[in-house]
Amino acid sequence: MNALRPSSVVLVGSSSMVEEIGMTAPSFFRGVEANLRAFRGDIAVVDIDAPVEPAGDMAVIALPPGLSLEWAERCASAGARAIVQLTGGFTAEQRAAYRRLVDRFGFRLVGPNSIMGYIDTSIGLNTAFNEGITPLPGPVSFIVQSGGVGAAVLDTAISEGVGISRFAFVGDKVDVDDEDLLRAYAEDPGTRAIGMYVEGVRDGRSFVETASEVSDLKPVVALKGGMSREGARRASSHTASVAGSDDIFEIAFREAGILRVPSIQSLIHTTFALALQPPLYGKRLAVVSNVGGPAILAADAVVRAGLRMASIGSDTAETVHGTYPGVELINPVDMIADADGERYRDVLEAVLSDGNVDGAIVINQMKSCFFREDDVTGIIESLSKTDKPVVDVVPGGRDFQLLRRRFIEAGVPVYTDPSHAVEAMDALHRYSLVRRGEYV
Amino acid sequence: MPDGAGAPGRRAFPETEAHALMREYGVPMVRTLLARDVREAAARFTELGAIPAVLKVSSPDILHKTDVGGVRTMIRSADEAAEAFDGIMASVKRLAPEAAVEGVTVQPFVERGVEVIVGGLRDPQFGPVVVFGLGGVWVELFKDVSYRLAPTTREKARRMTMEIRAAPVLKRYRGGEPVDIDALADMIVSVSRLMAEREDVAEVDVNPIFARRNGALAVDVKVLGGGRQ
Repeated sequence: MNALRPSSVVLVGSSSMVEEIGMTAPSFFRGVEANLRAFRGDIAVVDIDAPVEPAGDMAVIALPPGLSLEWAERCASAGARAIVQLTGGFTAEQRAAYRRLVDRFGFRLVGPNSIMGYIDTSIGLNTAFNEGITPLPGPVSFIVQSGGVGAAVLDTAISEGVGISRFAFVGDKVDVDDEDLLRAYAEDPGTRAIGMYVEGVRDGRSFVETASEVSDLKPVVALKGGMSREGARRASSHTASVAGSDDIFEIAFREAGILRVPSIQSLIHTTFALALQPPLYGKRLAVVSNVGGPAILAADAVVRAGLRMASIGSDTAETVHGTYPGVELINPVDMIADADGERYRDVLEAVLSDGNVDGAIVINQMKSCFFREDDVTGIIESLSKTDKPVVDVVPGGRDFQLLRRRFIEAGVPVYTDPSHAVEAMDALHRYSLVRRGEYV
Repeated sequence: MPDGAGAPGRRAFPETEAHALMREYGVPMVRTLLARDVREAAARFTELGAIPAVLKVSSPDILHKTDVGGVRTMIRSADEAAEAFDGIMASVKRLAPEAAVEGVTVQPFVERGVEVIVGGLRDPQFGPVVVFGLGGVWVELFKDVSYRLAPTTREKARRMTMEIRAAPVLKRYRGGEPVDIDALADMIVSVSRLMAEREDVAEVDVNPIFARRNGALAVDVKVLGGGRQ
């Protein structure tokens, strides 16, 4: 969808108009304008209170429905190949009218009711209205059907340092829908994993087909909103009486190779892990830690997730024992609180080269009193010699904030809680099944 | 209201048609003869030539046959068959007076196995779906079922059988031997093909199916047509 990579953008709104109920307001208009200043291309702003010709490859419209339709036509006549309709409140007839404009002019429409529109960090395009919510460029792209969930995802991504390639708020999906964006993201070299918030899809079978093609190439993670019409269906057969529509969504996602997650945070965490780390082929995990309790919690979560704690080979244990007599390679591996970067590196290298280990969860508690910021280097060095997935846990809050950037820059997903790391590993494992055609 | 009437616009295929459909798609079923009156009940028993036999009410409106006294087992003679026919009719008339009754089916008594269900339904968003679960009376209570979009493959069908919580029951049937998973997978694939190809079919229940060490045999089937949701 090249229409969403414009070289010029025109913003159409009003600096005075306020909708009684709706998003049209001067502050909204000014917010979008501020974020668009980062765009690496020509920007025009059309204030309809003093109208000029709305010329641009992409038009971003923030007006009430009736006026939006009028201006969409003018923008399309002036050559717009894409329209991002931020504001909503369109009736069914108005949506149909918009659809007719799409068919007549051939532009691509995001929205209406997109609210925050579209972000492509590679060209500095950001049509969101909240000032200061520009994400870092990075390997994750999102498709969201809700402004509220999308805003929360975006805000979390920014606060946790998760870099974004593209971010689409699909809104009412009059034209551009999940399938279009999945295909576009599949072709985007900057996107390594895709996260979605879905409430419903237009054509279920077609969605499953498209998503399964895309998920063969790149991991796709989804959070589903909108519970089933459980009980709405009168049971006429046993089969129908047991099947909830959420069960059907579940299996449809699996057939599509989509990894389903239960929360906004899981959506961000797992999508990011999938973007940074290779799939977990096999289920055997090692937990390597400088503290006991968090490692035990990690081990518990590993078992609960249906993954396994690896039995580390005796050769590996002897090698490590030779260098560090106090360190027993019983999984979870407690390296003792005084473990520094060098010990992390040596032990991790040994553990990751062990044929009984498919991946590792590293825990480095700063409150051990010995672990220093620079000791992160040791962990990162050990990873250059492995193609197995590794994720890190810095238990706590401020300690996590202190270290997260260094891990993320090295391509290591990092979490505050062992259970989040296990959730990420579980997703990496599920994606290995997708790649092998064994997920359904 | 009979409990099988279901969503508006649905109609159940007559038992004979439902059985014919199963034959067409290669779902192995217990031999089933239909008796419309008491004289036929005795005649079908003799024709079946299997002792003991089982008689069951045949009605598109009745989903739970035992609940309305619609099942008689251990029938050993033509006279008993006739008696059972009258008994079933009287009971059904009392407990499900509005149900349209075609007659009774006469089947040989078959050795039970692990009871499973294979079903099909049509989802408004994702189209035909095939369902597998532990059958009999447990299916609605525990909802322990697995799903695939239809049509599905044998490999996926095999994995479906392993996905239910009760999968260990399938692996350790009598004497610790597993039931015939391939036979179940074949049934799943057959029902999934039926759902994918026959758009006039809205729902299918093949229930119960007796899964055994060698093979699997379906005892009852219900097919609902029309009335897309």
